[in-house]
Amino acid sequence: MASHAHDYLLPARVTLEEAGELLSEHLDLRQGAVSSAERRFYDTFDGLLRAAGLAAAYERGRLSVTDSSSGELRAAAELAEPPERLLAYELPHGPLRGVLEPVVELRALLPLVHLATDVRELGVVDAADKIVVRIVLERPAVIIASGRRIGLAARARLGPVRGYEDELLDVRGTLEAGLGLVEAERTVLDEAVLAAGEQLGGVSSKIDLRLRADQRADAAAAAVLGRLLEVIEANLPGTIADVDSEFLHDFRVAVRRSRAVQRELKGVFPPAQLASHRGELRWLQQVTGPSRDLDVYVLDFDAFRLTVPERFQADLDPLLSVLRGRRLAARRAMVRELRSDRAREAISGWGSFIERLESLPEEGRVDAARPIGELAGERIVKVYRRMLRMGRAIDASSPPEAYHELRKKGKELRYLLELLAAPVFPGEVVKPMVRSLKSLQDVLGRHQDREVQVATLRSLAGEVSALPAGAVALMAMGVLVDWLLQDERAARDEFAAVFTEFASPEQRSLVKDTFR
Amino acid sequence: MSRVLATYNIKGGVGKTSAAVNLSYLAARGGARTLLWDLDPQGASTYLFRIRPKVRGGGRRLVRLKTRADDLIKGTDYLGLDLLPADFSYRHMDLALDGTKRPTARLARVLKPLYRHYDYIFLDCPPSISLVSESVFEAADALLVPIIPATLSSRTFAQLEELVAGGPQVLAFFSMVEVRKSLHREVMAELRARHVTMLGAAIPAADEVERMGVDRSVVAEIAPGGRAALAYEALWWDVKRRLDLGGRR
Repeated sequence: MASHAHDYLLPARVTLEEAGELLSEHLDLRQGAVSSAERRFYDTFDGLLRAAGLAAAYERGRLSVTDSSSGELRAAAELAEPPERLLAYELPHGPLRGVLEPVVELRALLPLVHLATDVRELGVVDAADKIVVRIVLERPAVIIASGRRIGLAARARLGPVRGYEDELLDVRGTLEAGLGLVEAERTVLDEAVLAAGEQLGGVSSKIDLRLRADQRADAAAAAVLGRLLEVIEANLPGTIADVDSEFLHDFRVAVRRSRAVQRELKGVFPPAQLASHRGELRWLQQVTGPSRDLDVYVLDFDAFRLTVPERFQADLDPLLSVLRGRRLAARRAMVRELRSDRAREAISGWGSFIERLESLPEEGRVDAARPIGELAGERIVKVYRRMLRMGRAIDASSPPEAYHELRKKGKELRYLLELLAAPVFPGEVVKPMVRSLKSLQDVLGRHQDREVQVATLRSLAGEVSALPAGAVALMAMGVLVDWLLQDERAARDEFAAVFTEFASPEQRSLVKDTFR
Repeated sequence: MSRVLATYNIKGGVGKTSAAVNLSYLAARGGARTLLWDLDPQGASTYLFRIRPKVRGGGRRLVRLKTRADDLIKGTDYLGLDLLPADFSYRHMDLALDGTKRPTARLARVLKPLYRHYDYIFLDCPPSISLVSESVFEAADALLVPIIPATLSSRTFAQLEELVAGGPQVLAFFSMVEVRKSLHREVMAELRARHVTMLGAAIPAADEVERMGVDRSVVAEIAPGGRAALAYEALWWDVKRRLDLGGRR
């Protein structure tokens, strides 16, 4: 593969000195320094850096981000200690933040592997004794938690020197044909991650399942719910530890999606048992709600600040400190619930229930044996039509709840499309439908968020006013409320246009033709 | 984005190339992506880096944007430090510039595509006052001016400040200093008192600076921890500090 084209594996049990001597029999070499280095690599829980072709490593007081394939330095910054956790958006503005933040966004960088490497630097030189190809011989070892080292295969890494591409080709030829060395298939970092027993690319919260249209509906439901449960379980520890805001977010999305499947495919479950599991997932959703709302408030605070005139922006500080305090209190309450026996049993009980689902008696499970394609199509048509009725009933005088109820149905339709329709129906129908639904949901979501935010601000007014500078903060909050209400009205005004597209005759006949 | 720094003096033999090579080395060693363009047709920096003083198509095609600077760059022996080599045809660069529209903006146009690839671009300039130097003044954020503490050096400094008024920052520093000479000490004291933009660090007339031409290397490798290596480190620290006070291109 091109991305690791310049890493060659050295024969087993050859020391770096011997390897250097071996190479010098075939190449004009300048022998450089021998050294050893310890590097701590970082990535997000879901491997965003690796997916972007980047690697972040801490070494001797510096955190640097390099391009994984070329080894080229993208940015670096001094850091006194290797961080336990690093949030890009908390870094000072500069090149390092500039490279990291667009890739990892809200996700924290976490320690991935700790490598100790013996290094010998060599340079292939031309007639003027100028280095034209760099060769780094390295013998890496992974240091695992117990302090034990796991040795990895030694390598010769060829580093290109700009403007000397032909020489690089020559040296590669010598290593391959002359010395019979073979290119490494994986990067050192990937090898190290595997040796440490970790998963390459981190832990994903994507669902990405293969379903067949003629598969039994209960089997399909069990597969989707099983994968969603994996996501719930994978994100629970990070949610409790408050590693970054995305753990809680992904946890809640997976719970909400599971609930949508419970509701939409209820005919594949035994009714009595389903009811108790539905109750437990609803409870998980409820106990995590306030914490998530306050996460969003705190994360978006800078954006809110910008909606008030510049001279009032600093006046909002007391509000931020009240929000932060509330967030911590909400987190404490949430963590208490998530650590409880009830939460443990809710999750494990749900797991064993879906594992057994296909083997349960079919009595009362009226949809269990139907093909999932047919059942999912039927549900999509139903929910879509329901949304048409709800949306048509909305006008300028409708209460906020009417928008909110439509949005909740919209989420259900979205999950049906993404989880069950995407794997079995044609992408050219499903994708545009998800897109037009998304535009509708964005407008409805904005409307609902503003509604809730105004209510939250009102509920905080008393607490803020009791703080020093609270009176001034209240005035600035008034300006903010005004902006929120304006934006809520704007969302209402935009609703008609996006709903018309969602409910267009073309869209309606497409739904009818595809899903029936 | 880049900061463009030109080592410049009307006079030759004052330590321009030593400064360009050693400072660009320190910039790269500090982790910055660094390029040095050897604009002097004599090609002393190019020689020190053991690179062939040759650019395909020559200087004329380069300043007329017929060849891309990007394609002519060579990596040096030092990680993070690249060189745009000298070429003997640079001796006619004035003529090549003269035929272009807005000749003084030309070098900046050649460099513009490189700004996003390098944190620092050093220009090692030939000693002259010409279209080339005017074009350098327009491209550079700062001029690094080595000054030998001798009579007339104060005058040289004043002339230069007048010449680039409204253009790049002028950061002058003492070069080839012999502290045992009382004349050097007197002139340094006088200039420092008169010009606040005179940098604190002074480069000594040391053996290791002269050895650069023989060893074809930087002072930090010839005599790490030596007087000259420490002086260049102090100078680089001071230059970066002054740049942070000034602007960015």
